Amino acid sequence: MYDLIANLWLGMGVAVTPMNVFLCLIGALVGTLIGVLPGIGSLATIAMLLPITFGLPPVGALIMLAGIYYGAQYGGSTTSILVNIPGESSSVVTCLDGHEMAKQGRAGPALAIAAIGSFFAGCVATVLVAALGAPLTSLALLFGPAEYFSLMCLGLIFAVVLAKGSVLKALTMILTGLLLSMIGSDLETGAERMTWGIPELSDGIGFVVVGMGMFGFGEILRNLEQPGTREIVQAKVTGLMPTLPDLKAAAGAIGRGTVIGSLLGILPGGGAIIASFAAYTLEKRVSKHPQRFGRGAIEGVAAPESANNAAAQTSFIPLLTLGIPPNPVMALMVGAMTIHGIVPGPQVMTKQPELFWGMIASMWIGNLMLVVINLPLVGMWVRLLRVPYRHLFPMIVIFCCIGVYSLNNAPFDVTMTAIFGVVGYWLVKHDFEPAPMILGFVLGPLMEENLRRAMLIARGDATVFLTRPISATLLALALFLLVLAVLPSLRAKREEVFTE
Amino acid sequence: MSDATPSGDWSRSAAAQRQYNLVGGAILAVAGLALFATSFLLQNPVPLTVRGSVVIFVAVGIAISAGLLRVQNPQDVYGGMALILLALVAFVASNDLPGMRGFAFGPGTAPRLFAFTLAILSLGVVIGGLLTSGPDVSGYKIRGVIFIIGSILAFAACIRPLGLVIASFATMVICAAAAEDVKWRETVIVAVVVTAFCSVLFPYGLNLPFQLWPRFW
Repeated sequence: MYDLIANLWLGMGVAVTPMNVFLCLIGALVGTLIGVLPGIGSLATIAMLLPITFGLPPVGALIMLAGIYYGAQYGGSTTSILVNIPGESSSVVTCLDGHEMAKQGRAGPALAIAAIGSFFAGCVATVLVAALGAPLTSLALLFGPAEYFSLMCLGLIFAVVLAKGSVLKALTMILTGLLLSMIGSDLETGAERMTWGIPELSDGIGFVVVGMGMFGFGEILRNLEQPGTREIVQAKVTGLMPTLPDLKAAAGAIGRGTVIGSLLGILPGGGAIIASFAAYTLEKRVSKHPQRFGRGAIEGVAAPESANNAAAQTSFIPLLTLGIPPNPVMALMVGAMTIHGIVPGPQVMTKQPELFWGMIASMWIGNLMLVVINLPLVGMWVRLLRVPYRHLFPMIVIFCCIGVYSLNNAPFDVTMTAIFGVVGYWLVKHDFEPAPMILGFVLGPLMEENLRRAMLIARGDATVFLTRPISATLLALALFLLVLAVLPSLRAKREEVFTE
Repeated sequence: MSDATPSGDWSRSAAAQRQYNLVGGAILAVAGLALFATSFLLQNPVPLTVRGSVVIFVAVGIAISAGLLRVQNPQDVYGGMALILLALVAFVASNDLPGMRGFAFGPGTAPRLFAFTLAILSLGVVIGGLLTSGPDVSGYKIRGVIFIIGSILAFAACIRPLGLVIASFATMVICAAAAEDVKWRETVIVAVVVTAFCSVLFPYGLNLPFQLWPRFW
């Protein structure tokens, strides 16, 4: 306990220097600005804004990136409430009640409760990250290659179970991601793998290239299919503050949302999207008046917003303690850290404590920033949303292009992004989900490395994954989840959750 | 992702469906044949099982094209077939890589392992799509694809030789043509403003190494 406070104090010392507070503020502001734009998710937002952190010192860059992440997340809910288009896949459910509230002239309280809920969830999650960081890091010492491999299997299975649609198709997507991640030089022997002699491919395909193509450009191609269906709330947003009954009604929802979000965020493969769905469904179950949901119930905004923010934050736990990115956004964080020479994993906490704790403290500050800057700026976001999409998407495209190009100053990367844009569009047309593929792509090299090492240590004996207790437990859990997902009864329930 | 995809209950007339299968199956068959031809150009001979699978793949493509196989769920059949093709391409591409040496993985082991699993799972998707019915693949927005992708490629082609100013202006204008309700006058104004903004922000504001004007300037 004493350690925890001392550590957080150390982190605060790092995070509240004027420079870092300023970076956090800029990050949150720019993140919200891009996140508000409809049809661009936090992955594309972060990828697009990555270049602006290149010139900063490592701590400052990470603090700014964390700010961008929360900003993007929050900006997404603003769009959901005001336009009924989720600016972000994790705020799809916020549309249901949030936009309904806005139509009733209560956009102000809806936005405010989303901010307050996010802030509360953020505070709890920050403490959780700080508290769980140290014990989980020592757990990481028990992990050998076999355990790491099994843990990643579990994470991928989670991603399959949580994806909507067919389980089999989600599995094929994971394998596709794994296969694509094999392109490039082999880590151990340096042999060129599946590069067809193209020198630019010998370093492998960049994660940003795949992510930006599938989630940035693919999304734009899809949005162009349905022109002009945006209904922006025309009424002026007045009366920002929620009333006392509002707060009372939302308090329980915020608490429950925070708990669900924190739990689902830690699990690999989970993350913000599923957390918001789960929180909304639970809230509807426990409510005394479930018929109010979908007609502007404030709980229907408070719960998912708290949940997705809590999950966004606790998903840093597997990354910082085990070095495994649990979702695509965290994978992007790995990329950003590597650019600054930090290898995420258990050693960050012991070798660079000011960086680790500074980042955790800045998460809290970032959440505070969101409340402070966003409520007064609502008017500006509304005006931004009035800009027609025909002007928005060329801007998004050019910023994405510049963002991708500036990573390596390579035009080839930009070309590859275009290809993955088409691939993403094609996949969605054939009802394949891109999210599991991205996760497979991210975890592929790590999985191969650990698989190879585990097999080498066990002298080619594949049963090592089943004879080591932790590894066997993780694999059994993965199998159990997979069976559950295929069982018809649960399948129906899953469908129900996603169609709601 | 978002639930607003129109691919939900899209369906074509019987004639349009036949046409779709004719073209779709032909594309698959041609791609398979190209892969078959490529497999003869490698140093090491491609194993007979892989070649055989490619031949079967081509045969299925032709069967779809000729209407011999009933495609009940086009999304699954074409999606699964494309992924099988990807797995076969991976097999051919990783053919020259050494595999297991004793109990140590070689560079080729993991790619072939993943490709094999992908092929098996995708086969399941294809079979499912042949047996149970599902929605058609909704029409592509060709205009969007051409102009958006064109603009990105234009950026890639222009940024080195012509500099940021010309590249971003050209990209903005080409990209804007993707929208059906494009208004040229507004588009040019927006493009000029955004280009100016980018030319100040990235090289000066963020100190990134961008060249603003063409080399010979």
